[in-house]
Amino acid sequence: MEQVSTSINTASTVQSRRIKHPTWRHLIPYLLIAPTLIFVGLFTIYPTIRTFEQSLYQPGMNVRNERGQRVQQPDTFVGLQNYADLFIPQTPPHPIVGGFLQILSNTIVFAVASVGITLPLSFGMALLMNRAIRGRALWRFSLFYPVLLPLIGGASMWAFLYGNSGGLINTVLRSLNIPTQDWLNTPDLVLWSVIVVNIWKQAGFYMIFYLAGLQSIPKDIYEAAALDGASYFQQLFTITIPLLRRTTLFLLVIASTYAFQTVEQLDVLNKGMPANRANLLLWYIYQMYPSSQARGYVNAISMVLVVILFTFTFINFAFFERRSADE
Amino acid sequence: MQKLVSRFGLLLVLIGVLCVAPFTQAQSRVQIDFYWASAVEGNLPAIFQGYADQFMAENPNIQINVVYSGSYTQTRETIRAEGFDPVVDVAIMLATDLSTFITDSPIVMLNPFVDAAGGEVFLADFFPAFIANGLDAEGNVWSIPFQRSTPILYYNADLLRENNLDVPKNNEELIAVAQALTTPERAGLLLPIAGTFPIWIYQSFAAAYGRPLVDSGLDTVYFDTPESLAAIEFMTRVGLPIEEGGFGVGPRGGSAWGETPTAFVSGKAAMIYHTTGSLTSILQNVANSENPFEVGVAFLPSGPAGEDGTGYGAPTGGGNLYIFDNESTPKTEAELEAAWQWVMFLSSPEIQSDWGAKTGYIAARYSAWEIEPLASLVVEYPQYAVARDQLEFAVKEFDAYRSVDIQNIINLQLSKIISGEVPLDQAADALAEAQAQIDQLLAPFKGN
Repeated sequence: MEQVSTSINTASTVQSRRIKHPTWRHLIPYLLIAPTLIFVGLFTIYPTIRTFEQSLYQPGMNVRNERGQRVQQPDTFVGLQNYADLFIPQTPPHPIVGGFLQILSNTIVFAVASVGITLPLSFGMALLMNRAIRGRALWRFSLFYPVLLPLIGGASMWAFLYGNSGGLINTVLRSLNIPTQDWLNTPDLVLWSVIVVNIWKQAGFYMIFYLAGLQSIPKDIYEAAALDGASYFQQLFTITIPLLRRTTLFLLVIASTYAFQTVEQLDVLNKGMPANRANLLLWYIYQMYPSSQARGYVNAISMVLVVILFTFTFINFAFFERRSADE
Repeated sequence: MQKLVSRFGLLLVLIGVLCVAPFTQAQSRVQIDFYWASAVEGNLPAIFQGYADQFMAENPNIQINVVYSGSYTQTRETIRAEGFDPVVDVAIMLATDLSTFITDSPIVMLNPFVDAAGGEVFLADFFPAFIANGLDAEGNVWSIPFQRSTPILYYNADLLRENNLDVPKNNEELIAVAQALTTPERAGLLLPIAGTFPIWIYQSFAAAYGRPLVDSGLDTVYFDTPESLAAIEFMTRVGLPIEEGGFGVGPRGGSAWGETPTAFVSGKAAMIYHTTGSLTSILQNVANSENPFEVGVAFLPSGPAGEDGTGYGAPTGGGNLYIFDNESTPKTEAELEAAWQWVMFLSSPEIQSDWGAKTGYIAARYSAWEIEPLASLVVEYPQYAVARDQLEFAVKEFDAYRSVDIQNIINLQLSKIISGEVPLDQAADALAEAQAQIDQLLAPFKGN
């Protein structure tokens, strides 16, 4: 023990000798994190502050005067009015953001349904893929490959499956004499059609996390449980699921964050229509962006999204980062 | 060593000369940055570069820098982001972007150039329906037609012949023919009104019912009118089964834009409404399909607005040529003149004829149809001439101040009614609500 402390002392003496000036020693950690800090500041914190600031303004209108010259009116400070327009319903609905509450609720349904279905599915897939079955590598790959496909490519494939007159699903249904559906053009169906694509795309990815989790559980626990006469399902509910709790919580946060960032599929799958029933927050912003007068609202909705995503990040930090620091 | 240094020095001088040379040459030439956007397929970059080379050979003092700027939307955003001092000098952008550019970008009013080119005589060679979107309410010219289109009726001529049916000329005949040709496997009529952009096809029905969505001004939109309501009811009933008061000839909610020509080519639809821009690909795909048939093309059938034929109506579509100034360093007369020369070249009968034949866009000038290659193409495929002749009845495409916001409102409300989210008996209220929203947006522009 004494020996160890002596060697530590020696080491610190050497270190202090090398860096003579104490200020330098204090500066080094800051210098080391400076590049990251600069990038985060420049590309995350500063834009967020600017977005918030801009969300408090209504853009000035450009109009031409009698001589045909353009006159630009200055932006007007409106306080939290843009947020009020988003959240307080009006009659007639607000001309630009009248649909916001519907789209927020679409997004929440989309996130809850996507996560609620994808995680159990991924877990089930991981359980199957963790067993010694023939052609396991091929099965694993088949379940994982949607993750590898570019999102737009995958969505285009689904657009073909969902097609009304020539789509594969309807062609199969027709040949079986089952009534067909217009999957992307029926108001009550379209959001679910998009959710299915999201599940297909994500399930394989989350399966990998569960597989890793399953393989990290020591075998002897199961052997002990089996000796005590625990059935497969007893083992599943008392050993596997509790021990994968942290994986599940982590995936819950990741999957929810991802669900709120969905946009590419919508571009291919009927662009949020019909009747905005499949429109989600990011696509809504994207649609509004070309309007020069909607800037204030685009920024306000972006802030709402930032708050939602920050909440997930915060949960992630509070539950995982701190715990792993404690452990 | 000294030799090495002197060689190195020589090299530096050479590099210097090489760097400066293009500038000295360029300074004597007027530079035109030309952005083009397109919505059709084909080897367009090569065609545009060919035009530019031809133009530069004729005008050695002008340099055309051809820039493909993406889709119409991407190009508009690029130009808007460039603000009041844009890099772009000449651009092909949607004819309906006029209202946006009038307020957001320093586009150049073309009256003096048009006057110098012959004024009314010059404009008279263009189809009036294509000129309409380039004018403001006072008749000032802001853009020149380049790549234009309009919706037309495509029909399976073999099917009509086998069933002894005539080509429908009005809405009643349209539905009668469609009902006669509808089977469980085949739609009688497909309207591409599902999805985000029902407003284009809707405008043809609004015109056929007698009240086009817009007139010559940019500050008024006529959405909540009896004609508009009747037009929307008609479009919706095309997709409703007979038991629900519909015509029972197509899928509920209409069909998707891209899926419509595919269904027609594969025999799953007897008739469709679609853009003239699809004519070339439909003719080719039908010829190459397993069951080729004769593709018929006709005017969109007329509505009740005029039994004398005035109830025909279709909006125009496509892109025009705009010239951009720079507010902090205004363009010199020579620069503006060079830009105008390039616009004149692209809109010339020769280029219009060539471009129309290569892409399927409707050549925008009467005289372009009399010269090669378009003249022979029309003899071989008379279908191309139908689109041209319908232009006599075509109307200005929707454009207004706040056009992006207003289009979002109209498309959403149309989608709600067509898809059945809002039942037909509540459609009138939906239109009134949308009109109130639109009027709220246009209020600041009234009287401007």
